[in-house]
This record gives sequence, structure tokens and C-alpha cells, in this order.
Amino acid sequence: MGNKIFVDARGSSCPGPIVELSKAYRNSVVGDTIELWATDPGVKADVNSWAQKTKNKIDSITDQTDKIVIIIEITNR
Amino acid sequence: MEKLLIVGGGAGGIILANSLDAKKFDITIIDKSTVNVFQPALLYIAFKGAKPNIMKSTSKLLKRGIKFINEEVKKIDLDARQVITVKNSYNYNKLVIATGSITDTSSIKGLPEVNAKFGDYHTNIENAQKLWVNLNNFNGGTIALGQSSPTCKCPPSPLEGVFLVEEFIKKKKLKDKTKIIFFTPYPRAYPAEPMDEVVEPLIKARGIAVNTFFDVDYIDPEKKVIHSIEGDSIQYDLPIIIPPCVGANISYNPATVLDSDRYIKVDKYTMQIPGYEDVFAIGDATAIPTAKSGVTAHLQAKIVAKILNNVNAKFNGRTNCPFDMGYGKASFVIGSYTDPVVKYPPSRIKHFMKIMMEKIYWQSLKGTFDPIFDFYFSRTDPAKLNKHSKNAKPV
Repeated sequence: MGNKIFVDARGSSCPGPIVELSKAYRNSVVGDTIELWATDPGVKADVNSWAQKTKNKIDSITDQTDKIVIIIEITNR
Repeated sequence: MEKLLIVGGGAGGIILANSLDAKKFDITIIDKSTVNVFQPALLYIAFKGAKPNIMKSTSKLLKRGIKFINEEVKKIDLDARQVITVKNSYNYNKLVIATGSITDTSSIKGLPEVNAKFGDYHTNIENAQKLWVNLNNFNGGTIALGQSSPTCKCPPSPLEGVFLVEEFIKKKKLKDKTKIIFFTPYPRAYPAEPMDEVVEPLIKARGIAVNTFFDVDYIDPEKKVIHSIEGDSIQYDLPIIIPPCVGANISYNPATVLDSDRYIKVDKYTMQIPGYEDVFAIGDATAIPTAKSGVTAHLQAKIVAKILNNVNAKFNGRTNCPFDMGYGKASFVIGSYTDPVVKYPPSRIKHFMKIMMEKIYWQSLKGTFDPIFDFYFSRTDPAKLNKHSKNAKPV
């Protein structure tokens, strides 16, 4: 069980939440979990594409009242 | 008088100092450099061979009554309320850190060697001139251009480079012998979708290949290959690689105020460091999730100036990044924390505005054009522009 990396990308102005995810991924190792908070609805499609490309696993995508919460398990780094 | 120390004599530090009443605040700026550089011009030095007349003495840009100390800051101790330089230590009532960001090639294997040979358009004048020389020596092959880490000063800058390199290659009649590859760590050429919808047709029309989800891992200068974390690779003849950018090399107490890239963690509305309400950071130096640009530094400086005067003010994440798309046209990337980026097509007028900024930059640091800027920011509020964009009739 690795580290939990928390990324608060709510209300992030251009270039957007995918930058914050990329930064967290760079600093991660296999076994880590990234919890990403965002408010940009486009983040779901972007994270899905990112996970497919990088061969990492999305554990869950949850719509809460004020944010989107995405849990990612780093399985490839 | 309130003793205000500003670390950093870039655009943010100077604009803040000049926005305050020097009869009310005892203002001192500390910087290891004696000059202020207009950084956006590095693009044109690198891709158009523009003359490097882009720096002025910092002390001459400050209004009367503001002190300037030319010393290198090594440590900032927030608990002791001290800024420590190589020569002295200074106390403060209020502190604003405006230390900008720097390029750092050391974190990518192979990049120091590539950068020393080919230059880049983000580090300094010398590197930009080196890139211009390499461009002129290029006679065909593959040009690979992109950023080498997720954080990059000025988000449009990588695409600005690729658009201007295509224009250069076309003018030199090398288009048939050249392949241009744009690589990006993001899912699309421009990370914000509305602006990507503007650039994609131009990229396609100009025959530029795009490698998305390409986060640079290391470079092999012998084999001339760039490798990505995702497992892909690009063979190049001319690499134009924007180095990673990180915060200034200053240590802090507590060290926890910095993130892993040495950016300062602050409140994204007030720019205050949590737990240290007398300390602010503005501009490129912060970890605020918004564009690193002169406009951001300008707007944040104005907000902090109001807060220092006990006026309730908040930064709304407004961006206004100039975006040269080649062939004399440009746009601006306009968004905020609450409004998505506007789909803003390029035009010659916007290109003229970008070019004019270089002419008025030095005076703008003194606040001369503030009424015009305020009018412009109000008229181009992203909420208004997005509404107009939705109501526009299709052509």
C-alpha cells in the first residue's frame, strides 16, 4: 500500500486540472493513490483518456454537490 | 509607516511597489539582479531574430521613495520574520514574495546537454539567440518542439513556438523537407478545450503532427531521441524543448510552505501564506493553479496592494495570456476560477495588441495605463465573452 497523494484542482484556472494530475503522476510510484478534486466537468473525459494512455486504474469517479472526486490507483509508472 | 519588504524586482514586485503610497509604506525591493527583463520578447528573439533590447534598470522603474537593494536572498524565515541575503538580514512588518520562476534542466536526463547546444526560448536572452542560430542552420529534417514538464510559464507558449517555427520553415522554403512534431503532456494540443477548438484547425492546415500525453522522461542526445514517461519516443534533428520551470532557489522556514517544485503554497484568492497573514506571494512564485504570466503577476499585485491598504479584495483567477498563432494573428487565453476559457479566434488586432505590450510595458509598470487595463479587463470578462460567444450566429 503506497502513499495517498491529494490533488485539489477545484476552480483551477487555465490550463486546468489535468496539469495538476500530470504533476502528481510525475512524483508518484506504483502503489500510490491519487485523489483528485475538480470542478471542471471536462476532467472526467480527460482523466479517462489519461488512464487509458498511461495504463493506470481509475477506482472511482464520484459527482458530489460541489466537486468531482476521482480516485486513481497508480499501477504503472 | 508600515515596513514592507518585497523580494523580487520582476513585473509583480515592481507593479506592487508602484501601486502603494510611499508616504504610507516604507517600501524596499530586494533582488539579486539590477535589471528587469521583458520576458515575452524571448519568443521573438528565438523565432524572428528580434533585437534583444528588452531590459531596463530596476531602480529606474520605481517611483520616488521606493528603496532598491541589490542582494541575493538565500533564505526566508517566516517564524523569525527575516529575509536573509548573502550579506545581511532584514526584518519586515509585511512581506511580499515575488521571486518568479526559473528554468531547471537538471531534472531531465540528457536535457542539460541538449539545452546547451540548441538553446530554448524560456531561459534567457542568450539561450533564445542560440535557438535562433540553430534555426537558421537547419536545412531539413524533424523539428520536435514541446514542454518537458507539466508546469510551463505561459501556457500558450509551446504552441506559439510551434506556430512560429512553421512560419519560419515555410518562409525559408523548407516545408517539403521538414516534419514538425509538437509534443505535449496533455490530452490535446491546447489543454483548455475551447481554445483547443481554435488551434486544432490551424495545426491541421499547417501540417503539424501532435503527440499528446507525451510527458518527457529523458533524452538521448547521442541517438537524438526524446523518451516519454508513457513509453513513447520521438526522433529529432532539431529539438526545441522548453525546460521544466521551478520556483527560485531560496530556502524557507518552515520548508512546508513550498511544494515539490519550490512554488509557494498560498490562498488562491488573497495570496497570503496560510498561518502567516503578513506574508504574501504573487506571480510565478506561487503554486496557485492558474497561468504563470505577467498578467497574473499584475492582477495579483493589484489585489495585494488593496489588501495591504485594508481593502477587501480577492483574485478571481483571471487569465489573459497572449497567444501568437503565426502569420500576424494572435488571440488571448481568457478564463477565471469560475468561468471556462473563452473560444477566442485569432485576429490581427489582437496581434497588434500583443506587440504593443512590449512598447508600453515599461510605463505600464508605473501604473500609467491602469485605467486602460481596467477598462479592457472589464470589457473582456470571460463571463461576458462566453455569453457573447454562445449568442453569436454561426458563419
